[in-house]
Amino acid sequence: MTDVIDEELLIDAKNICMRFRLPTERIDNVKEFFIKLVKGRLKYTDFDVLKGVDLQVKKGESLGLIGRNGAGKSTLLRILAGIIEPTSGTVVTRGNMVPLLKLGAGFDMDATGKENIFLNGAMLGYTRKEMLKKYDGIVEFSELGKFMETPLKNYSQGMLSRLGFSIAVDVHPDILLIDEILAVGDAPFQKKCAQKLDELKAGGTTFIVVSHSNAQIRRLCTKAIYLKDGLIVDSGDADAVVRHYEKDCT
Amino acid sequence: MQKKIKANPISARKVAVILWSLVKKNTKNQYRRSFLGILWTVLNPLLNMFVMAFVFSRIFGRSGIGMDYPVYVLSGNIVFGFMRTATVTAMPSLVGNYDLITKTRTPYAVFPLSNVFTALVNFGFSLIALIVVMIVRIPAGVRFHWSGMMIFLPWLPSVFLFSAGLALLLSAVYVRFRDLKHIYNVLLTLWMYLTPIFYSVETLHLPEKYSLVMKLNPMYHYLKYFRDAISGIVPSWRETLICYAAGIVVFGIGLLVFRILKKKLVFYI
Ligand SMILES: Nc1ncnc2c1ncn2[C@@H]1O[C@H](COP(=O)(O)OP(=O)(O)OP(=O)(O)O)[C@@H](O)[C@H]1O
Ligand SMILES: [Mg+2]
Repeated sequence: MTDVIDEELLIDAKNICMRFRLPTERIDNVKEFFIKLVKGRLKYTDFDVLKGVDLQVKKGESLGLIGRNGAGKSTLLRILAGIIEPTSGTVVTRGNMVPLLKLGAGFDMDATGKENIFLNGAMLGYTRKEMLKKYDGIVEFSELGKFMETPLKNYSQGMLSRLGFSIAVDVHPDILLIDEILAVGDAPFQKKCAQKLDELKAGGTTFIVVSHSNAQIRRLCTKAIYLKDGLIVDSGDADAVVRHYEKDCT
Repeated sequence: MQKKIKANPISARKVAVILWSLVKKNTKNQYRRSFLGILWTVLNPLLNMFVMAFVFSRIFGRSGIGMDYPVYVLSGNIVFGFMRTATVTAMPSLVGNYDLITKTRTPYAVFPLSNVFTALVNFGFSLIALIVVMIVRIPAGVRFHWSGMMIFLPWLPSVFLFSAGLALLLSAVYVRFRDLKHIYNVLLTLWMYLTPIFYSVETLHLPEKYSLVMKLNPMYHYLKYFRDAISGIVPSWRETLICYAAGIVVFGIGLLVFRILKKKLVFYI
């Protein structure tokens, strides 16, 4: 342990534990709550999703998170993004981090594509003026120029994801947290997305990727972590970890 | 080239940008695809006033109210309406913005607060309606003071704080207890009738103790201050103090409850 701050260390998470407290029945009205409280029957079961995960990511590295459904990958990503606080453990992050946990979170379905680009940009902290500079690039990348004046509720699912993705990758963050959003759009658009990510990677952006596509992890990531039952079973070189995971899955 | 590595705080600027865009979105969405659009924000309080002034001037009689009755009703209605719109729209705002709260790093308070600001914008439009009515009623003896519009400005932050405090409180509690919506609607109706919007406490000739109780209602004081101001009466220090005391206390409580509930909130949405 040293006190020297390693400038190259973008994410340093130590001993992350996450415990969800699940009420045995969901209580969402006052009457039930008080009846249960008075009777002393407010029962919970504790559920440990992460049981002590350590994780370090250096600048320029890309980390893949793999594991079966419910292994806690999304939970870990949300903790790293600072959206939820872990039950115990510490997370230190450096650099401009953009969580891409869901494409188009906060889209307003009644508003047009154009309005939504500005709205979504605002959620990432960009003023209208700044977004105006990015606007043409975003529209061009999304190939949705014809639909900019159309309300989003008239978009197809793939078009929505394309718009969300196009806005998200245009912000040039230091760290990009990606949760299973890479399989967007049709084949030509996917190819374009992959190229864009390679471009960002070459530009020095650090990725943390959750994906069920092993090929994707191999391509994008230098390192990987295999999560199982809230613990890290294997970590290190992406290729080796993915092979371990594939072996477990068969 | 070495890129500058900066920390990743949620800056005040980001909060302002988000707040601004949410207020714009809310304001636009109120009247999306309606023929008269934003004009409704002016028309709405006007039409309400006509209904109320027509109905209630018959029931309560307008004698004893020192102001022109339509102006009296409208001014009371838009102040109470500001508080009502702010709190009613803010209550489900955290639940409604589920996506943003669980998937992005946005400070939660911007959602209820954006609704309070939107209500403030509406209040601004209602003022146009009020000014129109005041000018129209000049022949009926209304004295219109532009200065009155200035006098009420120092009051505005106090009623804003009051509404914002309630909005924060309601939105956070609503995440856990959804029946709050029904409870609050009933309470709001009661509150409206207990607030002198279309009558005046003085002309009800209540026993002393009841009228004292009615004056415990902060909305009573917000309405009184506003009406005094637009009539060109400079409200007393005492009134100003009451308005701010209520505003600051309620905002403080709201903020406190919000901060306590905030930590666990993401798990219940
Ligand atoms: N807010 C919550 N309250 C209670 N339990 C939760 C909550 N969020 C997640 N969980 C539980 O945590 C576990 C891990 O969820 P998580 O979403 O992290 O899985 P995942 O690894 O991303 O899975 P997938 O591959 O399906 O995306 C799940 O069993 C889930 O039920
Ligand atoms: Mg997941």
